[in-house]
Amino acid sequence: MAAIKYVNLYFKLVSAGVRAQMQYRFAFIMRIVGLITAYTGTAVTMWVMLYQFQVLGSWNFFEMLFLYAIAILSWGFCVILFLHFRSLDTYILNGTFDRFLVRPINPFFHFMAMKFDMASFGQFIFSLLIFIWVSLELHIEWSSGKVLFLLASIIGGILIQGGMLVLISAIAFWTTKSQQFYWVVMYPARNLTNYPLVIYPKIVQWIAAFVVPFGFVNYFPAAVILEKGTPFFPASIGYFSPLVGLVFFIIAYCVWMLGLSRYKSTGS
Amino acid sequence: MAIIEVANVRKDFMIAKRETGMMGALKSLIKREYVKKEAVKDISFSINEGEIVGYIGPNGAGKSTTIKMLTGILVPSSGNVFVNGLVPYENRQENAKSIGVVFGQRSQLWWDLPTIESFDLLKEIYQVSNQRYKKNMDTFTEILGLDEFLNTPVRQLSLGQRMRADIAASLLHDPPILFLDEPTIGLDVVAKEKMRTFIKEINQERKITVILTTHDMEDIERLCERMILIDHGMKVYDGEIAMIKERFGKTRTLVVDLEESTRSLQLLGGEVWKEEGNRYWIKFNRDEVSASQLIAQITKTHSVKDLTVEEPAIESIISRIYQEGYQPLKA
Repeated sequence: MAAIKYVNLYFKLVSAGVRAQMQYRFAFIMRIVGLITAYTGTAVTMWVMLYQFQVLGSWNFFEMLFLYAIAILSWGFCVILFLHFRSLDTYILNGTFDRFLVRPINPFFHFMAMKFDMASFGQFIFSLLIFIWVSLELHIEWSSGKVLFLLASIIGGILIQGGMLVLISAIAFWTTKSQQFYWVVMYPARNLTNYPLVIYPKIVQWIAAFVVPFGFVNYFPAAVILEKGTPFFPASIGYFSPLVGLVFFIIAYCVWMLGLSRYKSTGS
Repeated sequence: MAIIEVANVRKDFMIAKRETGMMGALKSLIKREYVKKEAVKDISFSINEGEIVGYIGPNGAGKSTTIKMLTGILVPSSGNVFVNGLVPYENRQENAKSIGVVFGQRSQLWWDLPTIESFDLLKEIYQVSNQRYKKNMDTFTEILGLDEFLNTPVRQLSLGQRMRADIAASLLHDPPILFLDEPTIGLDVVAKEKMRTFIKEINQERKITVILTTHDMEDIERLCERMILIDHGMKVYDGEIAMIKERFGKTRTLVVDLEESTRSLQLLGGEVWKEEGNRYWIKFNRDEVSASQLIAQITKTHSVKDLTVEEPAIESIISRIYQEGYQPLKA
């Protein structure tokens, strides 16, 4: 099937997923409200902490909020596209995953297109508002180069976090259970990115740069835009964000497909 | 021409051994032991274009595993599988175009959306042309009465309606082969009958090859001429249903209603194995004594109100084969 057909099919499948979600209007609205409450909660916690310290590792309150805004901006998109990978194990466990394998399209694509979390658009708008407010406060001069870089690194961030969700879901092909790993890996990794990496021990910073590359989601690109130093790392490391995202996602996809071929030989 | 070829297929699963008790649970956390389970040991068969074959076996016999290998979901441990000239697990997506699959226990429709939307989406997934889509939808709507629920969300359909929608969905892309995994499970008598009529019809009119697994022997008797019986991952019987009935079905039951009850009904060649009021069930072997001989014996001493001769249900034949094994007749 040609690529254009796949794009067309993606939109058809996704719009079906959205309409399915809209069937449960109350749950839909509550999800938006819940997400915004949770994020505001985190922002308030950050503010309270900074009220005590004034600065955290040379990052002031608005700079940290900027960091936070980039993180939830890309996470918001990532949730819309990939969050349902978290429940892959449930599909495998109750046998509904098989239906993706009896159809003439790529199962990764099919699974990805099955859901599209509209409620997360609320979160997206929320993070956009914070982002605008913070960049006004910080008097960032937005040249077209900077805007392009920001967009590219947000895409990088989506791919890194999405890749992580895909990787975690792939564990289900081996163990049939994977949701715990979400809480063990994804949750701490995301919490890590709420604060500038510089405040963590060196080993943690290294892991966040080269193992679980969440440093590239917001810390490194934000440092480039705000022209702040990144101790232990070259100042221009942030420019690699989009590339890191792409490579990480491709690796995740390959692992997922490897898991699928294992599933096909074990069937459990 | 054979459209499906299965040759010496074997499928092993590694199953984690579960230890009992708290200590065992802790032990298996650290070091897991695996046990090899042979789901399918050595199965071969070939199916010709246009056949309806019943694939029968008790739970855990390896039915679903075989179907999964034929649909490309599972890779066999050894042996060869060809479906419509393709190796399913190597050309899974290509193979998917030429098969329709219905899992009776799980719907493949979009649960929360009106039924018609599932058809629209499958049309896109299988790249069905508008013309073909319209033609098929018209046919299925007419035979299966889909129009009464096309706008109802799938989750609100009755089981019978859902199965009708599912089987129509599996045929939207005109596959030459249809796999039905327990298509009548949980359906009431009327819905079962509708389903069987439809399967028969598409097989005759479209020459679709059908492989059917079921626990309902009436499905088999009504639909299939050929039956493959498996047990413990091995093929036990493969052949005509008429033949197996001929061989195992020599025992008949004569049911008589007498005018008044009698204490002793002694018959030559027949044996009373059940009585209820004035009704008696008499088992006999039709090679040793004919029904008319038995009836003559009874009417000599009793007046008969009503009588019927029952053929053995295929079900009881099969349960006998499971228990005793099937010894092929020596030529």
